[in-house]
Amino acid sequence: MNASLRRTLWISRVTFLEAVRQRFFAFLLVLGAAMVLSSVSLRVFDFGHGELKFIADFGFGGMFFFGSVLAVVMTAQLFFSEIDNKTALTLLAKPLSRAEFLLGKFFGAWAVLGVFLVVLAGLQGLVLWAREQELIAMAEQSGKIPATFSVLGLGQLVLMQWLRLGVVIAIVLAISALARTFLFAVVVGSLAVVAGQLQWIAQDAFLRPTDSQAYAAFLWVSTRLIPNLQQFNLADALVLGSAAVEEGALIAVGFSGLAYLVAYLTLGALIFRRREI
Amino acid sequence: MRRLAPWLLVGVLVLGAGSLAESSWRRVRPSIPEIGRKELEPTLGQGVLLGVLGGLRTVVADIAWIRSYVFWERRDRPGCETLMRTACTLDPHARYFWENAGLRIGLDMAHWEIRRRGGYAKVPAETQERLFRQYGRRGLDVLEEGMAYARNRTALLLAAGFLAEGKLKDLRLAADYYRKAADAPDAPWYAARICADFDWGAGRKAEAYRWYRNYWETRMRSKEDGFPEDLIRLRSMESELRLGLLQRIPRQSWER
Repeated sequence: MNASLRRTLWISRVTFLEAVRQRFFAFLLVLGAAMVLSSVSLRVFDFGHGELKFIADFGFGGMFFFGSVLAVVMTAQLFFSEIDNKTALTLLAKPLSRAEFLLGKFFGAWAVLGVFLVVLAGLQGLVLWAREQELIAMAEQSGKIPATFSVLGLGQLVLMQWLRLGVVIAIVLAISALARTFLFAVVVGSLAVVAGQLQWIAQDAFLRPTDSQAYAAFLWVSTRLIPNLQQFNLADALVLGSAAVEEGALIAVGFSGLAYLVAYLTLGALIFRRREI
Repeated sequence: MRRLAPWLLVGVLVLGAGSLAESSWRRVRPSIPEIGRKELEPTLGQGVLLGVLGGLRTVVADIAWIRSYVFWERRDRPGCETLMRTACTLDPHARYFWENAGLRIGLDMAHWEIRRRGGYAKVPAETQERLFRQYGRRGLDVLEEGMAYARNRTALLLAAGFLAEGKLKDLRLAADYYRKAADAPDAPWYAARICADFDWGAGRKAEAYRWYRNYWETRMRSKEDGFPEDLIRLRSMESELRLGLLQRIPRQSWER
């Protein structure tokens, strides 16, 4: 068990180092950071939202969008580079199982996305804090209640987003294990992310009564096969306190995310076991 | 069977995860009011999807609002209304969108419709009046909806009172909106007076005086200069109601 864990961690480490050295990662990180920082100057285009809301939305939008792109493209790229360069053959000739290889890839990619999120969230926190101080000073002068943000909420949001991206990585790895080309994995992976973001529509439809058994069965299957990625997007409620979050709801979301992660990694490992390299 | 076992395990895992996600979604859904709104359905093709997909909602709401001005200039009612509703839906906590959408629908769109039908000279007065009421009511509906979401209701209540009086000619309804606005902590100074005047105009004279007097005594007298203009209005009400000396507000030391 220990040896298996060691091997998995070794693959993760190599994957992590390979990923952070990629220009693609640096490019998206800079782009995301630019988006977070530019929200301060772009807030002049804001129409009556709370100013912090505009800044937060802009930054979290970047985090969500570039994070998703990174999770899909980088994961597929890390997987296919091993296959195309035949390094996977060399690695798997050693006492390393295919499941360990896939798990290593997963943890390496997940760690990279963790760094991506922490850097962007740190910047976002700084920008929000600086503007919050200005708004507090202005509110004291005018006798109004200033808008504030929650640092704890920001931390919780980062965890939620990290979990969401973990699910995306697991799905992309399962698709990559099946796919023959990098492009196929990226396209299908992207479609899976969009489907996951819109899964709540099927979930809502499933909760409504219907006469058609076939339709109900289709909805039941689709709501279980496709993970609901929308449930991780609680930025407004957690960071700006725009709505209350039910007690224990975050833990429930966390468990469902982890369950999907395990399910898709197991599926990926099963498919990869039968794959010809 | 042995070969199938791992696949069965994956199936069970996915189904279990799906069931967990279903219960967790029910619990977090009320915290995301932006999604799942019927108003989004006709606008899915206009880039709104991006906003629904997470983050960037505020930005997309702003863009939708700017775009609605293009339709407003062209007096294109469906286009303008759809984009305004989109902005409201994407950022339901922003008072600005609800207030301006409600006022634009309630104040402008009846005029567009009259012009579309041939102009003020051609459209009969009753039809014009019906259109003003119809669009005024729609504007009020938008404002009412916004009150459920927006953090600051006062401006929406004032706008609703304005529409109820100006377009629906319903003084009682207008007075009710102004009363609610006057009771808010950030009420503007004029809300109570307009409320009392509308109630008075609607025939509820005694109730209007009682409420206005109570409001002045509890919220106005102790502030700034004691709101003398409001006291003058109260005095004129007392005269019209022919109240006895003991029933009137005691004379203030600063009163002329």
